[in-house]
Amino acid sequence: MKYNGPLIMNKQRKKTSFFSQKIVRRLPLFTFLVVVLGLSQALAQGTEGDAAKGETLFKNNCASCHKVTAERSVGPGLKGITERRDVPWLVKWIHNPSAMIASGDEYAVKIYNEYNKVQMTSFPNLSEDDIKGILAYIEQANAAPAAQAEATGAPAAGGATAQAGAPSDLFILVLVALLVVMLLVLGVLLVIVTILSKAVGGETTEGSEGTFMTRLRTSLTKVAGNSVVRSATIWVFVLLVVKATIDGAFNVGVQQGYAPKQPIAFSHKLHAGDYKIDCNYCHTGASRSRSAHIPSANICMNCHGVIKKESPEIQKIYEAIENDRPIEWVRVHNLPDLAYFNHAQHVNVGGLQCQQCHGEIEKMEVVQQRSSLTMGWCIDCHRKTDVNTKGNAYYDNLVQLHGQENKGALKVADIGGLECSKCHY
Amino acid sequence: MKFTNLYKGIGMMGMVAMAFTSCKRDTNNPGLEFAPNMYQSVGYEPYRQVENHPINPMGLNMREPVAGTVARRNYATNFGNGDSTRVDLMIYNVPKDSIGISERTLTNPIPLTEQSLAEGKVLYVRYCQHCHGATGAGDGTVGGVYQGVPNYKGGAYQTMNSGHIFHVITHGKGRMWPHGSQLNPEERWKVVHYVHQLQKEDS
Repeated sequence: MKYNGPLIMNKQRKKTSFFSQKIVRRLPLFTFLVVVLGLSQALAQGTEGDAAKGETLFKNNCASCHKVTAERSVGPGLKGITERRDVPWLVKWIHNPSAMIASGDEYAVKIYNEYNKVQMTSFPNLSEDDIKGILAYIEQANAAPAAQAEATGAPAAGGATAQAGAPSDLFILVLVALLVVMLLVLGVLLVIVTILSKAVGGETTEGSEGTFMTRLRTSLTKVAGNSVVRSATIWVFVLLVVKATIDGAFNVGVQQGYAPKQPIAFSHKLHAGDYKIDCNYCHTGASRSRSAHIPSANICMNCHGVIKKESPEIQKIYEAIENDRPIEWVRVHNLPDLAYFNHAQHVNVGGLQCQQCHGEIEKMEVVQQRSSLTMGWCIDCHRKTDVNTKGNAYYDNLVQLHGQENKGALKVADIGGLECSKCHY
Repeated sequence: MKFTNLYKGIGMMGMVAMAFTSCKRDTNNPGLEFAPNMYQSVGYEPYRQVENHPINPMGLNMREPVAGTVARRNYATNFGNGDSTRVDLMIYNVPKDSIGISERTLTNPIPLTEQSLAEGKVLYVRYCQHCHGATGAGDGTVGGVYQGVPNYKGGAYQTMNSGHIFHVITHGKGRMWPHGSQLNPEERWKVVHYVHQLQKEDS
């Protein structure tokens, strides 16, 4: 049913008077109409404007700076605004706040000074009816919150207990699993030892004699006494040590897993993950230059000049700015000087996502080097990655020539991605 | 007997080696470097610094530009094709508090094309969206916490002209802080194109 304001309300009034003569016979219908009438009258009495329309208008125009409650946001909270100011004053103010302040209106100047001389934006295209609608919405919203709070309170509490219960269940599960695994390992160990002692001794051990531990010990001493088993064990050890040494040597200069403590506990998880701030917002160089850039303090101040000023970590930035001293961030990704790398080429031309090389930065509290940054790692990607040639006339000839001799798509390796002098010069 | 002793010795050494290599690395330690003189740059690089610079203030490799230098970030001076080509150095010395001058005098030198609008959108997503929201309604992920982010389609915001928007991006206004250091003038004008689009769109 479409609600068209007063017109339908009048109709309902007429109907009630018509049906009131037959109250007894049409009791259900009568009560229904009474309820409808009562509701519409209550709405009409409480406000002069259309609250539903006012809600949309409020959200589009006012909500960024004002709250419907008494809470102060950028501008004052609007609870009880109609008691503080009359409607004509408000209309004048909303249409042109600067003129009100200039005219020396006492209340306007007071508000202006109270909010650090930040002037409200003018809204000349809001009609008087619009403003009345907004005021109606503010009143309505202030009447509702008590009931809303009750409704939302109960499930929230339930959710909390469920959450608290969940980890303990998991813990028990892990504990049981561990116990089972331990028992299994013990069993396997026993089986191996008996088989080995049989093979070595050539005779069956006197099965069920003694406890489990003494059986294990006698079997083990028998095995240890055998020269073949002993030399085999030692050789396994030697080979393992050689492997560990070679692996270690290959990892010299590889800083994978490096996650140094930074002078300010900046969380990428919060900024890039929860608030979804684009990487490029702070690392302005990533799309423009060789280096991705560590943001200067003025970029921090774009938000923290206003919010979270009191946090001790953010106070460190203030201190750095006030004393004009650099913040000594620790560089995480250290590519050796012998290799050249350019961020802009990979981000703009290659169209890579930051996460492809840097891992899930948006989930890291402390940034860690996820990729190895070795030459093998670079080359591997250059061999696998297709060149994005679509809609780029520069590549047309290359793709054609490549297609004549090769079957696969044009890879980065095919256009010089493996040439030494591209990165080493 | 000698052999068994040798075997025993090797075994012991192996176990010690295993014990050392199997330890977890400290995440604060970048690890061993072979031939560090090939890792460290000979020249002074801005973002790779092992030792304090001997001359510069505070030992920084980077230096601040000489006082009074005018940054000239975009090297292109011609915008548009054919007869509509405009030459603009994009150096505007409008002071922060003179937004009126920007409103009256600045016009967008970049012609409105599909490409410039698309580039403006990319830049808007990178630099503006987390506060101003995808549709410019001020409902970005940060906008809700930051508060006071306007709706482009609301009130006086709907008709704000290019010069005004350019000035606000450059110098900031109200709660918004200046973003001139993150966007060069050419990029700012492209964002202006996209903001005009958001002012118009029906939500």
